Amino acid sequence: MSSSRRATRWLCLLLASSLSFAGLMQSAQAALIGTETVAAVQAAEQAGGNQADGRTFLTQALQREDVVAALQQRGLSADEAKARVAALSDEQAQWLAAQVDQAPAGAGDILGALVFIFVLLLITDVLGLTKVFPFTRSVR
Amino acid sequence: MSHAQGRRRLLHALAAPCIASLAGCTSLTPPMTAALQAQAPAGLPSRVELAGVPFFADDSTLCGPATLASVLQAAGFAATPAELAPQVYLPAREGSLQPEMLAAAARHGALATRMAPELLALLRELAAGTPVLVLVNLALPFWPRWHYAVLVGYDLGRGELRLHSGMDGHASWPMATFEHTWARSGHWAMAVTPPSRLPATAELPASREAVLALQRVQGTAASLPAWRAAAARWPQDLVLGMGLGNSLYARGDKAEAASQFEALAARLDSAATWNNLAHVRWELGQPEAARQAAQQAWRRAEQAEPAWAEAVGETLRQVNP
Repeated sequence: MSSSRRATRWLCLLLASSLSFAGLMQSAQAALIGTETVAAVQAAEQAGGNQADGRTFLTQALQREDVVAALQQRGLSADEAKARVAALSDEQAQWLAAQVDQAPAGAGDILGALVFIFVLLLITDVLGLTKVFPFTRSVR
Repeated sequence: MSHAQGRRRLLHALAAPCIASLAGCTSLTPPMTAALQAQAPAGLPSRVELAGVPFFADDSTLCGPATLASVLQAAGFAATPAELAPQVYLPAREGSLQPEMLAAAARHGALATRMAPELLALLRELAAGTPVLVLVNLALPFWPRWHYAVLVGYDLGRGELRLHSGMDGHASWPMATFEHTWARSGHWAMAVTPPSRLPATAELPASREAVLALQRVQGTAASLPAWRAAAARWPQDLVLGMGLGNSLYARGDKAEAASQFEALAARLDSAATWNNLAHVRWELGQPEAARQAAQQAWRRAEQAEPAWAEAVGETLRQVNP
């Protein structure tokens, strides 16, 4: 069951990628080469891989939808999630898809520490290694 | 000798070696701070304080929107923390993620550039008059307290940085402490400028990304000032040169676009540049010149740039009826 479903998914992916590739070629017709395309090809060449083809564009499009869904699950409205993902580069969208729960989220300096961590951070604050408490001054 | 004096001397006797051993412990001074202390960098003022940077106090988890509003307003863009919160804040994470900080600045029409991961670059940027938004981990890797702050000055003599942080609009941190906390974010920092002005210390890859990001949200025509500024700083860069030509073309300045592509093709001999030159010449009603450019594009695509063969083939068909 699950393996046949996976096979179907791969077939869809292959089909859609060839379609999107054809679409890209058509849109390249009778138009200037876009700056984003130049940047993508140059980046791919410098990375030593093949040039960006239809399949990578497709996976990136899929990933963008995943990122929109992920942001919605994390408290954003559908419209705002879409607008925010649209403002990201492919690379940033990929990064976000992979890192949304692990990446550092700059949040502010509120505190709710256990005693051990409190004391440890007090010491590291005084040593100038951290800056958790507003009242500490580094010894140096 | 009084009793109190004796006690104080005893305290000093106990504490002095303790503190001396800490101060003597070189691993407490992180590398970039140590390098700055060892030798004052040439051409860097010893003290900088940017007075005009707006400060937005924040005592919750909204330091992302607060710091972003601060650097956007300093660059001349109207943006408030309340307006920015829905564009960067992620409720489930109770914080804001870095790519979204960059993207939200672009949505307001600003150029948002990642800074080089060097303390000296931050100081040079401050000396050039641009505040720097930094991500730090205030605590330790196993128990992170992520925090955005805005650097607004430094004092080399005192070894301190001036910053807006949380509720404190006049914070002074020892440079070593800042570097320790900054290193834990992978030395992440960004600068926000008007599109016509790149940050003084901007590097080429970061500038390419910044201008492309601006174009993504503002459109090819509207991002012209940023392409102009970037292409002027790095005239040998293909992406920036193409960006300038394409932006001129999108604004309808076809003649200027043609001369940009011409100059770039003469410098870099790139198939993509010849290709776009052929198109613009064709639209300007110069079929013979268009054919010449298309042939140059084909020569380059055949010789060295197969990635463009397909697009150049289409162009050739168009200009050779």
